[in-house]
Parts: sequence; C-alpha cells; structure tokens
Amino acid sequence: MAEMWINMGPQHPMTHGLWNLRVKVDGETIVDAQPEVGYLHRGIEKLVEGRTYTQVIPITDRLCYGSSLTWSHLYCLTAENLMGVEVPPRAEYIRVAAIEMQRIASHLMWLAAYAADLGLMLGFIYTMRDREIFIDLLQAMSGSRLTYNYPRIGGVAHDVPPNFERDALRACSYMEKKLKEYEDLFDGSKVFMMRNVDVGLLKKEDAMNLGVTGPPLRASGVKYDLRKDMPYSIYPELNFEPATHPDGDCYARYKVRMDEMYTSCKLIRQAVQKMPKGKWRVVAPRNAPVGTGLGRVEDPRGEGVMYLVGDGSDRPYRLKIRSPIFVTVSAAPKMLIGYKLADVVAIMGGLDMCIGETDR
Amino acid sequence: MAARGKGSPAEGMERALSKVDDVPEERVIRALLDNFPTAVTDFKKLSKGVVRARIERRDIHKACLFVRDTLGFEHLSMISAVEYDDRFEIVYHIASWSQRLLLELITSTPKDDPSVDSVSSIWGGANWQERESYDLMGIKFSNHPKLERILLPKDYLYHPLRKDFKGGD
Amino acid sequence: MKGGRGGQPGQVLAFSSKDFLKWCDGALEGVLRKSAVGSGIDWLLKDFFNWATRNSIYPLHFGIMCCALEMAVASAPRFDAQRMGVIYRSTPRQCDVLLVNGPVSKKLKPGLRRLYDQMPEPKWVIAMGECAISGGPFWQSYSVVPGVDQFIPVDIYIPGCPARPEALIDGFIKLQNLIKENKKGLLTGK
Repeated sequence: MAEMWINMGPQHPMTHGLWNLRVKVDGETIVDAQPEVGYLHRGIEKLVEGRTYTQVIPITDRLCYGSSLTWSHLYCLTAENLMGVEVPPRAEYIRVAAIEMQRIASHLMWLAAYAADLGLMLGFIYTMRDREIFIDLLQAMSGSRLTYNYPRIGGVAHDVPPNFERDALRACSYMEKKLKEYEDLFDGSKVFMMRNVDVGLLKKEDAMNLGVTGPPLRASGVKYDLRKDMPYSIYPELNFEPATHPDGDCYARYKVRMDEMYTSCKLIRQAVQKMPKGKWRVVAPRNAPVGTGLGRVEDPRGEGVMYLVGDGSDRPYRLKIRSPIFVTVSAAPKMLIGYKLADVVAIMGGLDMCIGETDR
Repeated sequence: MAARGKGSPAEGMERALSKVDDVPEERVIRALLDNFPTAVTDFKKLSKGVVRARIERRDIHKACLFVRDTLGFEHLSMISAVEYDDRFEIVYHIASWSQRLLLELITSTPKDDPSVDSVSSIWGGANWQERESYDLMGIKFSNHPKLERILLPKDYLYHPLRKDFKGGD
Repeated sequence: MKGGRGGQPGQVLAFSSKDFLKWCDGALEGVLRKSAVGSGIDWLLKDFFNWATRNSIYPLHFGIMCCALEMAVASAPRFDAQRMGVIYRSTPRQCDVLLVNGPVSKKLKPGLRRLYDQMPEPKWVIAMGECAISGGPFWQSYSVVPGVDQFIPVDIYIPGCPARPEALIDGFIKLQNLIKENKKGLLTGK
C-alpha cells in the first residue's frame, strides 16, 4: 500500500492550541511523525527586555494560560535569586496554597479536554463544573479568573480573603469525594480502557534521554519530582509522596495525574493549616545587580526553568525560558510509531499540551 | 565555597579544594578538573546543589560525553544563548537525578563566529533546543541532524533576539 | 466524459461537474433569483429563515490562546452557551461564525485567511479578547499582527483580557440582534 503524509492541524479539534502534526501512514498504521510548532510565537523573550522587572509579571502569566500562577511564581523566584531578596514565611505559604489549587484546576481542565476527545462528554461536563470551585477561590484571592498577576518579587500582591481557611478545607474535602467518582466513571468505561491501556508506550531509557519531565516521566517509572528532590519555597516542610506508575502507557499517565490531584489536596490542607501570621510582601530593589539568576519549578506539565541575566539597570538583559512541553513534544514520534491513526488523539492528549508555553 | 582562578587553573583550584569537605558538588568539580585540566577555566558553587563551570568550546562534546557516562548526569535541562558586547555565551544546564545536582556549563564563542558542536547525539532532548537557539539567536551547531527554523516562518531572514535587531519587516 | 447542455427532451444529459454547476446556477438565476417567484418566496419565508439563522449560530472549533479557555468554559455547565443554539463544529464548511480568540502571528496569518475563505456565506466574524482586537499585551512584538481586522472584516468586538464567559455570551446575543436588524432574503439577497 502506498504511504502518504497527512496533516493533522493547525485547526483540528484534537489540538488544544495551534500546532501541526504530520504523520506518514501506511494504510492505518503510523510510520513516521513530525510535529511542527510556532503558530503562536509572540516573541516574549524579546518583549521582556523593554519592560521593568515588575512589568514582566503579567507577560509571564500568559506563557501557559492553563497554569498561569506557576509561571509568574517561577519568574518571581528567579528574580529573587538574582536580587537576593528574602521572602517572608506567610507569603511562601500563601504561594504554595495558590499553586496547588492551580495544579488541581489545570489537571481538571486537561481531564475535561481528554474525556471530550475520547468521546466521554459526561467527563467534560462534570470536571468543568468542579473546576469552577477552585477558580472561585483563586478569583477571591487575586481578582481574576484566568491570568492572575498575583505573585510579586518579594511576596504576593494582597493577603488572603477572610474565611479563606474554611473555604479551602471545604473545597479539598469536596474534591476528594469527587475524585473517587471520576475514577469509577473512567475505569468503568470499557471504551476508555480499550483506548488507553497498552497505547503509546514510552520506555524508561527513552524518556530519560529525550528530556521528558513531569507526569509522562513519572508514568514511565522514574521517581523524580522537583518538589521532593530539589525543593524550593517551603516544600521541605510539607509531607507528601510523588506519584509514579511503572507501565508507561496512556493509562499510566492518566493515573499519575489523578494521584497528583489527591496529593495536591493534601498539600493545600497542610499549607492552609500551618500558615503563620506576619507580612505578606517585602519591597524589592528597583535595580538588579550584574549577574545571573536561576529558578526551577515543577509545573503541572513538567520541569520549568528560567535563566535571568541582569546588567545593573531596572530592565532585564536576557530572560530564557525552558518549557516542558517543547521538549516532550519532540519525543512524540517515539510514542506514535507503530500505532494506528485513531490512537493519535489519546497519545497526544495524554501529554497535556499547552501551546502557549511551547511557542513563547 | 567559591574559588576563582584564571591564571593557572589546575594548581590554584586544587589547593583550595583540598581544604573543604568532600561534598558531591566538590566531587564533580574535582572530576572535571582532573579530566580536562586545560579546558576548564573557572568554576563556582552557586547554591546548594548547583555548580557552575566555564569550559573552552573545543572540548564541549568530549566533556558532555564524560559528564553523562562517568559522572551520571542523565538529563539535559536547558540550552540558552546570551549575547554580550564581545562574545556569545552558550549555557548548558545538566541535571543528575540520582545525586540531586545541577551543573551549569558555560562556553563562549567570538562575536563573528558563533558556532559550537552539537550535543544532540548525547542527549536527544537537545535537538529542538539547539534548533531554537539557531532560529532566534543565530548560533550554528555543527553535526546537528536537521538545523532549520522551528518557531518562525521558514523564509524569515533575521535572528530576532540579537541586540541589533530593529523590528525587521 | 462529454460535456454540454442537453437540449432536446428524451436525450440523456451528460455533464462534467463544472458544467453541471453552471447549468444549475443558470436555472436558479432565471427561475428564482430574478423573477417574481423568488421575491415571493423570500417575502413569505424571510422572517422564518432569519429566526432560524440567528438562533443556531455555529462557531468554528478554533482556540488560539487564553480566551479559548474561556470559550470552552462558556459551553460548560455554569455559563451554558448551548441554550442560545451555539454548537461548535470542526470544519469551516459547516460554520457561520469565525471566533478569533488570541493573537495572530505572522506564521498563522495565511492559514486564518484561508479558513475565512472556506466558510460559506452568510458568515460573521467575532474578535474576542484584546489580542484579536489590537494585538493586546503583545502589540509591540515583531511577530504578532496588531489586530485581526487588518485582513479579515470583523462584526463584533468583545473586550477583556481574558474576556469573561459572560461577555462572550453577551457578544452572541449582540450578534443575534445584528442578524435580526439586517434581514436579507436568502434567495434574492434583498
């Protein structure tokens, strides 16, 4: 049978965001694959060089809009590393509570899109309804639904709203009950299991060599989580275990993300109950010293790194951003070759692609 | 725990190192110095678990092979390119999961010849990151399997992140 | 395949596809569009077709950036947009509305123009969010087109960064009012 190249994208219901996947098919089986990115390139690394350090924070929010608090927090960590600013403990606890809530909202958004792509519309409806609870909490903290502009260099912008502890604990208990319901819904669906088990295998050595990080790496059996192994902020004082799974297929990636939501509920409980009283922000200096700053966080999609070069003025000289999905997508051909064209949706959906951070 | 030496790298740093405890960061620096005595020009411990070393660009491929196979650094995290007034610097961030360390390797190239060896045969994750550095900053990586533009349109003429880029078309 | 207009009754008509379309167009022109039959049908059914069009707006599944998440949430249980008749379709051939919700980069510009050209008449364009109206926070960038109305005619602008789902539903209602005001007969176009 003749082989031919098929274009999936840029406008395709599977692609959340715009990217192109060219697959070479022989009948129905995939023989080669070439992802193409760059349709969303906005030149953020060049835009940043014309703004002051605080004016960059709303721009970094729009890097990955599914989990925007992670990226502005990463930028503030990097700038604090460069300027040598010490953040007060209450601000650290507020940041961790907000980040874990953002992680749950991001995973729920992924689950909604994944279920809708695989044909389970009920999964879309239930998860979007529950995501609104965490979006309401974050809106009460920061004032906005999606791009929060909440962390500042030296703390957070405002204190938590009144009754925050009661609301956060209520949200966590509600979420844990709902997670049990979702597991019954998805594991009990024969079609979901058939489309996910033994599809898109990624072996451990390939994952390590190709630079894959985050849930796809932990689903291939490597136990590496930046919050535990090279911790930042106040994660050393919190008690949790990162989730792994030995199989390396799509079902393993789904399972790792569900377990991460349980872990995040635990972390929110600990952060909210241990929060000390005190200041929530210190004023950072306007000019940065000459030197470099480095920040690494565990984004819901992998490992995010920022490298900031300062030159003594009040504007950055160079900001370099490492996006986890940029590297994971380049490993996509390894996962696709040998499977059928209908499996592309399950495999690429399981990677949770957010094209905003890929293209910057 | 920082020791900077530019004149005679090997002896000066050896003396400083032997006074400190044998922590993992020092072991990495000692191994690099032993194997590449003329290529490593500077090193510094930045914070807990993060080490920086400057290396000449002719030895970058051998050094990366050594770092991956002998020292056990399995994961290449990021490749950045920075343009200064008189040189380009290419910064490699390489992580070791088992020992919980991060190594920052920096090489410099002169302004009129920004090219360096590609490490995509050592770590597959370097492939797209090097293409991005070529696309936006114009650094050429020799022996790269497919060095083309990745984020900008294929027929774009400029390298936007350079300091002398003024808007383009 | 021999093409040509079949003339005499009893003779089998054999057309190639282009000639068949030309023949259909010619027949419709004469009978429906130019004569009194067309105006009569339009006068009877104009209100009905207009009511059907404005209550079943089908946008295209096209999410670019952050406003796309708010577009997805607008069809979620809390801000249900399906009660307006809004259902997202995946192919531009079946859509009425092109909802642009993010910054348009120079690499994307020819693709977006092609999508707009593939949609059949009558069609409308909604620019959602600051990035589609004027480039948004990225207007100074070397790779962003400052505003989608530089190459596509826009009917409704929805401000916000990101635009709230309530604003998007309000935008759909304003589009319904716009369609109601500009009632046009589908056959004669008047």
